[in-house]
Amino acid sequence: MTSILEAEPIINRSASKGHLPEKLTAAGRVGRTGVWVMLLVYGLLSVVPMVWLLIAPSKTAAQLNNDAPFSFGSFANYGSAWEHLLTFQDGVLVRWLLNSVVYTVAIVLLSCVSAILAGYALAVTAIPFKRTLLITTLVAMIIPPVALVIPLFIEISNAQLFDTPAAVILTSSFYPFGVFLAYIYFSTSIPKELYEAAKVDGAGEFATFWRIALPLSKGLFGMLAFFSFSASWVNFFLPYVLLGSAENFTLPVGLGVLFSSTPALNPGNGAQQSVIGRPEIALAGLILAIPILIVFLLSSRLLVRGVLSGSVKS
Amino acid sequence: MIAPYLALLIAFGVVPIIVAAVTSMEPSALNPGGGPLNYLQALQDFRFLPALGNVGVFLLLYVPTMLIVVAGMSLLLDTVRGRWNVSLRLAYIVPASLTGASAVLVWYFLLEPTLSPYQDILRALGITQGGQIWRSENLAWIFALMAFFTGAGNWIVVQYGSLQSISEDILEAARIDGANAWQIGWHIKLPLIQKYIVYMGILVFAAGLQVFVEPQLISSSVYPGLAANWSLNQLSYSFAFQSNNLGGAAALSLMLLIVCIVGAVFVIFRTDFFEGSGVKEK
Repeated sequence: MTSILEAEPIINRSASKGHLPEKLTAAGRVGRTGVWVMLLVYGLLSVVPMVWLLIAPSKTAAQLNNDAPFSFGSFANYGSAWEHLLTFQDGVLVRWLLNSVVYTVAIVLLSCVSAILAGYALAVTAIPFKRTLLITTLVAMIIPPVALVIPLFIEISNAQLFDTPAAVILTSSFYPFGVFLAYIYFSTSIPKELYEAAKVDGAGEFATFWRIALPLSKGLFGMLAFFSFSASWVNFFLPYVLLGSAENFTLPVGLGVLFSSTPALNPGNGAQQSVIGRPEIALAGLILAIPILIVFLLSSRLLVRGVLSGSVKS
Repeated sequence: MIAPYLALLIAFGVVPIIVAAVTSMEPSALNPGGGPLNYLQALQDFRFLPALGNVGVFLLLYVPTMLIVVAGMSLLLDTVRGRWNVSLRLAYIVPASLTGASAVLVWYFLLEPTLSPYQDILRALGITQGGQIWRSENLAWIFALMAFFTGAGNWIVVQYGSLQSISEDILEAARIDGANAWQIGWHIKLPLIQKYIVYMGILVFAAGLQVFVEPQLISSSVYPGLAANWSLNQLSYSFAFQSNNLGGAAALSLMLLIVCIVGAVFVIFRTDFFEGSGVKEK
């Protein structure tokens, strides 16, 4: 069995298929149809919720209730739903959106830069306790980030950083998975001779990194940014626990506030005459989901290569 | 060069565990003397066993379903080539963009008979009100369904990627020996991606053990109290923020963390997943 490092690069298997055309018997044809039905049904189940969410804000609350689930209302309703959302606590939604953007950009930058530097240092340079660092990184990478939230909260409160943007940005920038990916990349995808040649020419560690490794790491940077972005944009538990005041909230935490302080999902909540209804809350959810969807679809070429086995090769 | 990461690793990977360990020994209103009694009290809290049971049932539903469906669907996907394959993969990753708060929102709509795109199915099942579904005895199913649909598609694509690392020679040889598509999938491809499936299983288990967002949001806003302290992490959150018992919160979250660390160490040292990465001694 090959290890993750030795996994074959992706080859275009379709080219070599067809040497032996499969002869389909009647049973085979039934099986083939079954396969297609399952693949397509699963595909349909996958897109239905997103399609529904895309359409929902085009309808009024009454239309949502009475019309067919996939009927379209009007484009004007997106606008009015947005205006209604803006009335919620003096447009705090814009603030949440802005916070989410600022925090996420800072996290992606900090996490990727620190991960690339560390991955390079672990792969190429001689540093003490390399194996200990690697094992610690792997353990940290496998543990779900949620597991550290309460301990982080205790630490952050002791450090007087509670309810500050820095609390969320710094804690989320710890990115062991990125370090491991960068480490694998620098130790397998770039020939050792390149680094050595640079060193022979008198370049120091950092110059070698800057001139040789970094220009070859655009793909790596893209992949690290992709995973870092998709984790931090939707993160709920950590900002929920580390932030206290509405002006610092992120969009996911703010969405939770909308759930609990408007009657959209629970008629018992909030003022009955609130203009925040189901189309408005669907629009807020859509605003949270759309950037992730766009990044996913744009990065689909990454996913085509496979994350576990393919990602180590570039 | 390693300094920035090392600082983050120490500050937000190591120190929080030490701080939590120290805090878990501190006195609280419940345990004025402090010490290891905090751990015992967390375990003896009347909400602990129900939460453990909830998370246990949730994991029993969620983890095997993930393993079976993801392995099965990625094998099926591997039998399709070309444009259809790409389109299907794109479709499968769409649900991953609806996670956390937006997943809760979407599932609220999906399970609400007056709004749901599946309203005909719900009505055929005799469900005319969301309240018929959102009951405490159904929560494990609902949260497992939410977690499954959020994560499965991405994992199918990932495991499909793993399947691409199988050499064509092996498959060709099997075909010459007369193996059909089903036999190749079951006897050749599946064993060859087994370690990726095991890796996924442990990651999915560890993440599932920590379930928090879905029950917390449902309970704090949509159906007040329905899933209060439903999961272990929610209980830990309640210790910290409602009972002002940081010692108990730290103790409980450390116990959960240890289970995850054991899982991580198992993957690293007892499987060959990270072989050749410089972690294991030869």
